[in-house]
Amino acid sequence: MSIQVKNVSKSFGSFQALKDISVDIESGELIALLGPSGSGKTTLLRILAGLEGLDEGAIYFDGENITNVSPKERKVGFVFQHYALFRHMTVFENVAYGLKVRPRKTRPSKQEIAKKVNELLELVKLQNFQDRYPSQLSGGQRQRVALARALAVEPKVLLLDEPFGALDAKVRKELRRWLRQLHNEFHVTSIFVTHDQEEALDVADRIIVMNNGKIEQIGTPDEVYENPKSPFVYDFLGNVNIFRGRLQNGKLRQGQFEISAPNYLDSHDEAVGYVRPHDIQIEKEKVDNETVAAKITFIHIVGPTVQIELKREDNGEFLEAELTKEHYKNLEIQKGDIVYVRPKQLKVFIPEDFSI
Amino acid sequence: MTKPLEVKQEVPVVTRTTSNSYSLKESATVKWSLITISFLYISLFLILPLISIFVTAFEKGWETYVASIVHPDALAAIKLTITVALIVVPLNAIFGIVAAWLITKFSFKGKNLLITLIDLPFAVSPVIAGLIFILLFGAQGLFGEWLFEHDIKIVFALPGIILATLFVTFPFIARELIPLMQTQGVTEEEASISLGASGLKTFLYVTLPNIKWGLLYGLILCNARAIGEFGAVSVVSGHIRGLTNTMPLHIEILYNEYQFTAAFAVASIMSVLAIITIIIKNIVSWKAKDV
Repeated sequence: MSIQVKNVSKSFGSFQALKDISVDIESGELIALLGPSGSGKTTLLRILAGLEGLDEGAIYFDGENITNVSPKERKVGFVFQHYALFRHMTVFENVAYGLKVRPRKTRPSKQEIAKKVNELLELVKLQNFQDRYPSQLSGGQRQRVALARALAVEPKVLLLDEPFGALDAKVRKELRRWLRQLHNEFHVTSIFVTHDQEEALDVADRIIVMNNGKIEQIGTPDEVYENPKSPFVYDFLGNVNIFRGRLQNGKLRQGQFEISAPNYLDSHDEAVGYVRPHDIQIEKEKVDNETVAAKITFIHIVGPTVQIELKREDNGEFLEAELTKEHYKNLEIQKGDIVYVRPKQLKVFIPEDFSI
Repeated sequence: MTKPLEVKQEVPVVTRTTSNSYSLKESATVKWSLITISFLYISLFLILPLISIFVTAFEKGWETYVASIVHPDALAAIKLTITVALIVVPLNAIFGIVAAWLITKFSFKGKNLLITLIDLPFAVSPVIAGLIFILLFGAQGLFGEWLFEHDIKIVFALPGIILATLFVTFPFIARELIPLMQTQGVTEEEASISLGASGLKTFLYVTLPNIKWGLLYGLILCNARAIGEFGAVSVVSGHIRGLTNTMPLHIEILYNEYQFTAAFAVASIMSVLAIITIIIKNIVSWKAKDV
């Protein structure tokens, strides 16, 4: 089912959670709502489910205005952040609930319900746990029950609020891969909320980046990562090094130090350059003015990558570089060395109404 | 079909509830002297009086005991007390659930005022509570004349006793449910609604089972107080023997007439009711812990 959000605004008292949000989501997409806490992503999700009202705007499912349709009628599967399993019901009863509470006319028979529940429990690998209560399950198991329960009603839209937030790193990774697989299989339009950029980049077809109740950018993971539209998106999607300076003849200059910015030949503004740690090259000799001297303050070896913290010799700002272990070994650098840092892949933002 | 997820066995989440902390262990001397003091205190102020009730009740033998209880006035008092409890407890149960539901599941203006009002009967002396009803419905009261013209009796009759008891006992169930429902939050209800359940089904299948032990606990406390209430009822009842005397009032009258055996015989029945209540209460709270 396709979803259209048109000019939706929502306030809680004096706090404006959503400011004039509009999004189009196509049928069968897997969307990540990404943003820091307080950015309005959960509010938007709850509005889509009908669990929260909106002040202005409208929501359309398949072109039909459902703004005033009750959550009960929306045919939406909602997976809550802390699962919200019915604590006094067994796993089986939890999954069966959505079918059991249907009006008599549309309610499947007991056997049909049991068959459906067993299928779903098999899908989430919990068929041996059907008589357990939620309190007897681990976090990952509870999450899977919550998912099976939401899928039981054959929703047209699946909404997941921080689905993997409370799980440990390993279970989390397994589950999100599995969610991706599941989505490839069922093609139900799915939207999940997350504050973890890695999760969003890994799983989603498209990412909606939110900040302060507004949408910063919508795009595929690749688009959003490679071409962030704003400093916020750039910053939020990964670690970042900041170079301030003035644009001059297609270069971002800062004293002697200059970085080429070929897209800004005509600009002469104050600007801020953003560089990802893995786009920072470390050299041992000064070859040209496109490098800046820095002292290595720390070296972390994290599995196959090496993170290097540096302090610029000229203005004392800290930089972060990321190398492969092999590259690091070839460089033969150690803590305390003075090296020359060359930013490749500079992304320039000219400050207008934003501040960093 | 999607390939079933590969899952390693995970350990269920265990929460520590009992305070078996090593750092809190006291020396044996301190522990046993505290236990001894507690038991002595309880024996002196609770168990001894309780035993004395039964001793005095049976002082003049079994026959006198039975005679005091089957006396028409005593039977009328027992009947009235039970009638009052049977009316008051269900009414307060409905009110308590509605109030707790309203306070915990919705946000609205005046919510804090409502919470304060629910606590009011705890703060007001029962005698004053009784007087309020006299001032409202008594012969010289606000509605007194109108009630007299329409031949409706509230004060010095069953309606007055029920009103006074309702007033005094109405916080018990709401007070028991509000904190419970607050900690449980609204997400299970939201989950139920989003799965297509109606409001009524959500209440019956999700909310009610979650609060049933707390509700039962509140019912027991409310019932105990409804049976035992003296102050407020004493003001509105008018002490008409065989008509408007509840058990506590009947006991007081007998006592004032120096009929100690009879007074204590009726008191022994109330004590038995109280003990049964405590036992049920403990079973309930023990059961509630399991869930």
